[in-house]
Amino acid sequence: MILIACIDDGGGMMFNGRRQSRDSVLTKHIIGITAGKKLWMDKYSEKIFVSEKPGNLMISPDPLTEAGKGDYCFTEDIQPGAYEDRIEMIMLYRWNRAYPSDLLFDIPLEEHGWKVSAARDFAGTSHDKITEEVYMR
Amino acid sequence: MKKPGMRKWNKFFAVMSLALILALTGCGMSGTSGSSSSVPSSTSSAAEESSQETSGPAVKTEKAVSLGKIPKFSGKAYVNIKHGKPDFKKSELKKKSYEHYSDLDSLGRCGTAKACIGKNLMPDGERGSIGSVRPTGWHLIKYDFVSGKYLYNRCHLIGYQLTGENANARNLITGTRFLNIEGMLPFENMTADYIKETGNHVLYKVTPIYKKNNLVASGVHMEAESVEDKGDGISFNIYAYNNQPGVKIDYATGESRATGKNSSSTSDNSASGGSSANVASKGTYVICITTGKFHRPSCPSVKQIKASNKKIYKGKRKVLINDGYVPCKRCCP
Repeated sequence: MILIACIDDGGGMMFNGRRQSRDSVLTKHIIGITAGKKLWMDKYSEKIFVSEKPGNLMISPDPLTEAGKGDYCFTEDIQPGAYEDRIEMIMLYRWNRAYPSDLLFDIPLEEHGWKVSAARDFAGTSHDKITEEVYMR
Repeated sequence: MKKPGMRKWNKFFAVMSLALILALTGCGMSGTSGSSSSVPSSTSSAAEESSQETSGPAVKTEKAVSLGKIPKFSGKAYVNIKHGKPDFKKSELKKKSYEHYSDLDSLGRCGTAKACIGKNLMPDGERGSIGSVRPTGWHLIKYDFVSGKYLYNRCHLIGYQLTGENANARNLITGTRFLNIEGMLPFENMTADYIKETGNHVLYKVTPIYKKNNLVASGVHMEAESVEDKGDGISFNIYAYNNQPGVKIDYATGESRATGKNSSSTSDNSASGGSSANVASKGTYVICITTGKFHRPSCPSVKQIKASNKKIYKGKRKVLINDGYVPCKRCCP
C-alpha cells in the first residue's frame, strides 16, 4: 500500500482524539493524486473527503490491513508502525506548524531505511506551507 | 470584516449605548450591571473572572482548575484536565464572536481571558510592540540554554493570532519561554488554523493560576471547544506549566536561578521593561563607596566613579546586600 499521513513539527498526528489540522487544498490534492486507485481510510477520515464526493473511497474500520498492493491508504487516527511491512511508499505531508499531540507517527523513517525520493511545498487554505515528502526504501 | 474595523464599530456602539443608558436612567458606572471587579485566585484553588463586559455578553464568575490537582512538573509542557473535556455549558456555545479580558486584581495580575473566536476577531496584520506592558513578576533575564535566551516572555493569554490583541495588559502575563512556545503556542496554532479553515467559532478560555499572592502564575488553564460542530474539531481542557527546564523560579517575585552546574545567566535591563534580576549567586561587582551602590563591571555608571571611590568585590551578591550595599538600578546586578 501507499501510505498517506499528515504530521506536525513534532511528528504528531492527533490530540485528544481529534486530528491536529486539516486543509481543503490538501484534501483535493490527495483526491487528485489517488484518482483511478483505491483510497482507503476509516470512518473518522471519511468526513473531510465526503463533500468532494470522490469515487475511489474505500471505508473500513481497519484500512491499513485492507489496503492492497498499489492501493492508497490515508491514516489519521491509526498509527502506521504496526503495518510497516505492508507499506510500499509513504507520502508524508508536513503542516510546518507545532500543534499539541498525543498520537505520533510511529515509523522512524531514517532509522528504518526510508529515504526521501521527492519533496515539494505548496500553500493550503489555512496553512502557508504544506510540505509533501515521498519516501521509498 | 477583520478585527480593526470591527473594534472601532464596537467602541462606537459601546459609547453610544452607554450614553443612552445614562441619559435614560441617570445611573453612573458603579450602578451598571455586571461591573464587579476581577480578582485572580487568592488561593490556589480558584481564579475568578470579572463579569464586566465591553464587547460581549456578561461572563459569570467561574472557577478554574485547582493547583492541588495538577501533577508536579516533570518536563511535559501540559497535562489534560478532566480527560481533556472542556467545562463549558451548552448555553455558552454561541455562534457570535466576542472577547473579554478580566480587570487586573489589586496586585496587578491578570485574570481569566475568554473569547468566542470567529474569523472576524482574527488579525490580518503583523503583531505590534508589546514591550510597554510589564506584567507582574517581570524580569528581563537571559540563560544561554533557553531557546531565544530570555527566560520570560510576555505571554498572551489569548494569542495574538486569535484575537489580535497587542499591548493589552489584561491579556499578558510573565511566562517562561517554555510555557509560551511548548505549552500555549501549539494550542493557539491548532485553534487558529481550525477557524481559518472552517470559518467556525471556537469558545476559548485561558486562566492564569497563581498560588496565593505570587506575582508569577504557576501555569495556565486553557479550555476550548468549537461551536458549530459541537467540539468535533476543537476540544481541549489542559493545564500548561509555567516552568522552564533547568531554571528554578521563585513564583512570589519572578526571580530565578539556573539549576544546572554549567548553566549561566545574565540580566539585561537595557531594553524597556527591565527590572532587577539577581540570579547569579557569585560574581564580580564594582562598589562605589560614596554612594553605597554596587554595579556590574560593564555598567556605564562605573566609568563615572572616581578610582579612589571604587572597590572591586568578588563573591556572593547576598553578602553585599547583607552589608547594606544597594544594587544599581541601571545595570541591576
